[in-house]
Amino acid sequence: MIKIAEAFSHGKAFIAFITAGDPSLELTEQLIPAMAQAGADLIEIGLPFSDPVAEGIVIQDANERALKSGCTTDRVFEMLERVSPRVNVPLVFLTYLNPIMSYGKEKFMSRCKKCGISGLIVPDMPFEEKEELKSVCKKYGVEIISMVAPTSQKRIAVIAKESEGFVYCVSSMGVTGVRSEITEDIGAMVNTVKSVTDVPVAVGFGISAPEQAKNMADLADGVIVGSAIVRIVEQHGKACVKPVCEYIRQMKEAVTRS
Amino acid sequence: MTKIKICGLCRMEDIEAANLYKPDYVGFVFAEESKRCLTKAQAARLKAALDPSIQAVGVFVNAPLSQVLELCRNKTIDIVQLHGDEDEAYLTELKNSVPNPVIRAVRVQSAEQLISADSLPCDILLLDTYDAKQYGGTGVPFDYDIIPRLKHPFFLAGGLNVWNIVSAIDACHPAAVDISGGAETDGVKDPEKMRTIIDFVRNYRDKGLSSGRFGPYGGQYIPETLMNAVSELETAYGLYKNDPDFQSELTELLTKYAGRPSLLYYAEKMTKDLGGAKIYLKREDLNHTGSHKINNVLGQVLLAKKMGKTRVIAETGAGQHGVATATAAALMGMECEIYMGKEDTERQALNVYRMELLGAKVHPVTSGTMTLKDAVSETMREWTKRVDDTHYVLGSVMGPHPFPTIIRDFQKIIGKEIKEQLFEMEGKLPDAVIACVGGGSNAIGSFYEFLEDEDVQLIGCEAAGLGIETPRNAATVATGKIGVFHGMKSLFCQDEYGQIAPVYSISAGLDYPGIGPEHAYLNAVGRARYVPVTDDEAVSAFEYLSRTEGIIPAIESAHAVAYARKLAPLMSRNQVIVVTVSGRGDKDAAAIARYRGRDIHD
Repeated sequence: MIKIAEAFSHGKAFIAFITAGDPSLELTEQLIPAMAQAGADLIEIGLPFSDPVAEGIVIQDANERALKSGCTTDRVFEMLERVSPRVNVPLVFLTYLNPIMSYGKEKFMSRCKKCGISGLIVPDMPFEEKEELKSVCKKYGVEIISMVAPTSQKRIAVIAKESEGFVYCVSSMGVTGVRSEITEDIGAMVNTVKSVTDVPVAVGFGISAPEQAKNMADLADGVIVGSAIVRIVEQHGKACVKPVCEYIRQMKEAVTRS
Repeated sequence: MTKIKICGLCRMEDIEAANLYKPDYVGFVFAEESKRCLTKAQAARLKAALDPSIQAVGVFVNAPLSQVLELCRNKTIDIVQLHGDEDEAYLTELKNSVPNPVIRAVRVQSAEQLISADSLPCDILLLDTYDAKQYGGTGVPFDYDIIPRLKHPFFLAGGLNVWNIVSAIDACHPAAVDISGGAETDGVKDPEKMRTIIDFVRNYRDKGLSSGRFGPYGGQYIPETLMNAVSELETAYGLYKNDPDFQSELTELLTKYAGRPSLLYYAEKMTKDLGGAKIYLKREDLNHTGSHKINNVLGQVLLAKKMGKTRVIAETGAGQHGVATATAAALMGMECEIYMGKEDTERQALNVYRMELLGAKVHPVTSGTMTLKDAVSETMREWTKRVDDTHYVLGSVMGPHPFPTIIRDFQKIIGKEIKEQLFEMEGKLPDAVIACVGGGSNAIGSFYEFLEDEDVQLIGCEAAGLGIETPRNAATVATGKIGVFHGMKSLFCQDEYGQIAPVYSISAGLDYPGIGPEHAYLNAVGRARYVPVTDDEAVSAFEYLSRTEGIIPAIESAHAVAYARKLAPLMSRNQVIVVTVSGRGDKDAAAIARYRGRDIHD
């Protein structure tokens, strides 16, 4: 298991997201090491859920494609057990509470540890409900990544103080998805986080163009891109590895320029 | 996390249940005065069958030390619990002879007594209720306020059951809870009670962290983007719920606009036909907009207006809640947008037109199964985009706290009126109250006033679609399991990997894979029961009530009528059933005609 901090230890981090099993687990297995090779400093793997309420249409569709292709929690773990020894960047899961609870929290975390998952992003587990997983995550050394949003205001400092791994700064209101411009005052949010913790801050939601990524990286320690990558997977299907890697190289280069 | 000890296991079935639900400890009683007393041989057999991850605690009352040591040495028990008058010398000798942890039970009388017990050479204390006549198993809790700060971790015992366990943990934060009678029915361990109580404790969370719990159910499982909006709502509701101006404005709307109180009608023909209990119908179908939904909507839109919001959004299944929201928005001058599964916009085309007529914009939802659950998801997503000027008018007692409480409070007028009206007509409480349950707002509204009247049976009717033995149903209590979805911890229909299952019912309003958290709680503690009713039974009841009483019920409400038809003949003529007719059935006429093979479109 590679520590999340590792991703932020050599300059600004580029964090790439894909949905496991979209369009097939075989392809995810090829994508993960290729994305790391292309410059992703951390890979967020979406464990599919039937009703992802925090996702925009691009990632909702990816979840649906993955489940239709027969992707299950067990099969994702099996795939990760094979692939993670070949990947030299930290891997984290993005998923919802129900798949974790239904699998059994203890069993879920012990398998995370075994297959090199260093952290969890659970969009329907806000600060108030963190106890749900805190002790079992601690037991297996899986870090819980906290989110802060433009409406979090006074909550930002409270959340950041207890954060681990990195703080996921949500750039805009709404759900995930590509946006042409980001209007929220990201700098102020990042500063509030920084005033209470040394944990790195990465900005996500709505970022797709290299220029946007550079601007965000100027303000924070890392940039997260999801829907833009998933869209390439959707467009190119089986042949997506090359264009995804090409895109990651461009984005990584832009982030490094900041 | 609070650990769980189930005490007094004495049959092989008890061990099988423990192996299935895995408490942390089980207790074997070796006190002759107990009805749960075991011999050494019986205990050895039970221990051999016990899952090795569960520790066996031997419970003794003034037993010879040699007996305790023997059971430790032959590994029948892992932990010793002393429940009698064993003194410090006994404890010291025991500790010097075997390595097993020792629990010293104290029958609590005073703080001083506990402080002195705290200095004994034991590993854990167990705090039980004092009764001069017996050493344990009194079945009643004691006053937790007298517990001082203790050095030893302690187990809490004494009359714990599903009703009081959560508040007991809240009150004194024990290392473990010890349950015996609370997991029994008629003096023997009941696997279902054992499962429920273990579920409760395992899902228990500190009150200070998460609010809005009904036992382990409820909570606020929503994205961070919405947390401030629900906190704002919680604060506003706290302020207005006791505000006399707000309450009188709401009462004015309910009486002058919605037409409350709704009638409680004695269904004489139906009563005679069924030949059992007297049947009364609570006529929510007579409210303005034709269903109970208006009660909640007037309350929430008024609240939103007070909060300075200018726009309301809502999900709808059958369209009743959408129509009610659009109505209240028109009345109070709010912008209104409704999200409705595309399949439902087709099933209920007339209601789509109604909402548009009332000035609302209707968005057909094409994600997922294109029904109610997807409409809820989509409305939540829309809310995350615009929380500043927008209130989400949730339609049922579900979603994140404070919604289940707010909506229940706005709907509890149904039961309150039932109680008053029936008292006037019959001079008594009903023997049973029956209502249909999707998310469960008309049901909780009908039940709430009677929760403490334990002789009143409360029965929720779930949509069993083609039958609970088929995958084509929406009967959450019958076929679902605990999970987290749409902001709440509750029961949900789901597959083995926690993917929310596509559900089915002829009724678009009950076609939802979850149930409100307060219902999950009432089911778990046994205060209400939930029964499945199939499409066939509901359609037949739809026709029956139309012909018998000249009242066409909503197909949702027909589920409750269907169960009343089964129950009434089993009850006596001096008993009373109240059935909540949550809505009127005009909207369903075309669909039922098609169900019967007549091709009519509205």
